[in-house]
Amino acid sequence: MSNAKVAIIGVGEVPTANLPERTHWDIIYDTCIEAIQDAGLHRNDIEGVISVAPQAQPKITSELAFGKLPEELGLDGCKDTVSCNAGGSSTSNCLRLAEQWIESGVAKAVLVQHVTLHSTIPLADQINFFAKAGVDLQWEYPFGTTYNIMMGLIANRFMHESGCTPEEMASVVTALRSWAARDPNSMFYKKEVPTVEKVLASGMINTPLHRRESNVLGDGGSAMVLVSAEDAKRLKRPAAYKLGDSARYFSGTCVMRDYKKVYDGLRVTAKEAMAQAGITKDQVSLWNCYLAYPLVHPLMAELLEVAPPGQGGKYFLQGRMSFGGDIPWSTIGDAPGRGHTGSGVSAAHYVETARQLMGKAGERQVKDCKYVYQNTMGGSGFNNIATIWGKEI
Amino acid sequence: MDLDLTKPVPETQPWSEQFWQGTKQGKLLVQVCEDCTARIFYPRKACPKCWSRNLDWIEASGKATVYTFSTAYSMVEPKFMDELPYTIAYVDLDEGVRMMTRIVECEPEQIRFGMKVEVVFHERGGFQLPYFRPVKP
Repeated sequence: MSNAKVAIIGVGEVPTANLPERTHWDIIYDTCIEAIQDAGLHRNDIEGVISVAPQAQPKITSELAFGKLPEELGLDGCKDTVSCNAGGSSTSNCLRLAEQWIESGVAKAVLVQHVTLHSTIPLADQINFFAKAGVDLQWEYPFGTTYNIMMGLIANRFMHESGCTPEEMASVVTALRSWAARDPNSMFYKKEVPTVEKVLASGMINTPLHRRESNVLGDGGSAMVLVSAEDAKRLKRPAAYKLGDSARYFSGTCVMRDYKKVYDGLRVTAKEAMAQAGITKDQVSLWNCYLAYPLVHPLMAELLEVAPPGQGGKYFLQGRMSFGGDIPWSTIGDAPGRGHTGSGVSAAHYVETARQLMGKAGERQVKDCKYVYQNTMGGSGFNNIATIWGKEI
Repeated sequence: MDLDLTKPVPETQPWSEQFWQGTKQGKLLVQVCEDCTARIFYPRKACPKCWSRNLDWIEASGKATVYTFSTAYSMVEPKFMDELPYTIAYVDLDEGVRMMTRIVECEPEQIRFGMKVEVVFHERGGFQLPYFRPVKP
């Protein structure tokens, strides 16, 4: 018998793009109304509103934290609202809070939303924020490290230990962009999918990270409506039921991050979430991994036991995780495919998880999609939250 | 655009001051717990293993081994652009703790996993940052 307590029954999203004329509230209106309508609910049915805290956008962060959204959208049935910040794992925590509100009777239907406008953040503020977020100001920042370098440190070590080649790493971009090219909400929708050769020729940012292996910042937003699993079933609408959840904390400071502990954590959270859901890895229809950088995907494929040790990169190079391959993987193309919307990439992944389980993923639809593994990681990798979602209970 | 190009210095805590004082004397200090013998990096107010406040320091040999590294060629903060290319690394001190540093005094292509390195201090804004260079055979 399933232990599902909540389900996503409605989603809304806007295309990721740098459009400064499209304001935060433009996006909030469009995504939230779409999600509530997609759920088949009335605005007054929404009794709780939870926002993913935007990063480096103090004005909208304050407006959301201090309760403007329900008033702005006329959600007259709203009983409470809050914002939640855990970096890239914020959305997982928003969904957990929604689950708690629904289970405890605070709210029958909860709206979870995210919005980010990178294009309106002054460049100096953007540089200042991203240079310091998740970086220790005493033991790391003065040496000149960056997010890209932190990813380079873990990727270089992984390549050294596993034998993963630059070509195999570059093929991850090809795989992710093959999905993104078919995603109307991606910055790279209908754009050419770069070959391995193009990725490797794009110039080195820091070893082993090439320009095309990094992220493009974009504006975006999405929203979801959650109700209890019983209500979702009663409403007889397409739904994504939450079946499992497991988390591990690693470290706040990058240099304190024991890679073995991270590897073990990624492995065990997947196993625990699947055990809660009562499924095995062979039943997972889609591995919807949110890792932000392509370099970490081969490692993740090995830790999830989707690929044998030392074979993660080879699987990507063989096209097995690409659109049309036999292992559906990160079907919005993760941040390198979607465009990086800060803490919103994790929200976009959950929307995609729901969309796939509801059968609404269009050209990217995974055939007979029944169970989805979805993870989120916060900050520069301080934690991992693994979840399992299912089509039915 | 108003970019701050000042080179950053460590934002210290009262309990890490002694570490930075040590670097000014050419010493690389490692905090130790007198009660549980844990060797602690980065320095804390209380031992992260037993919460003892009975903490002291030992002087490290300055010898270390490269665990991992990444050489930056572009897309660093504007304040670091004049230092490109440079290599950030995690090094394991012989005393059993890991720290972030820069590898200097060699070409980036010469840096290897497991390479033996030794501390060399680099002045910045009144601080001495512990960088590392290859140990000469």
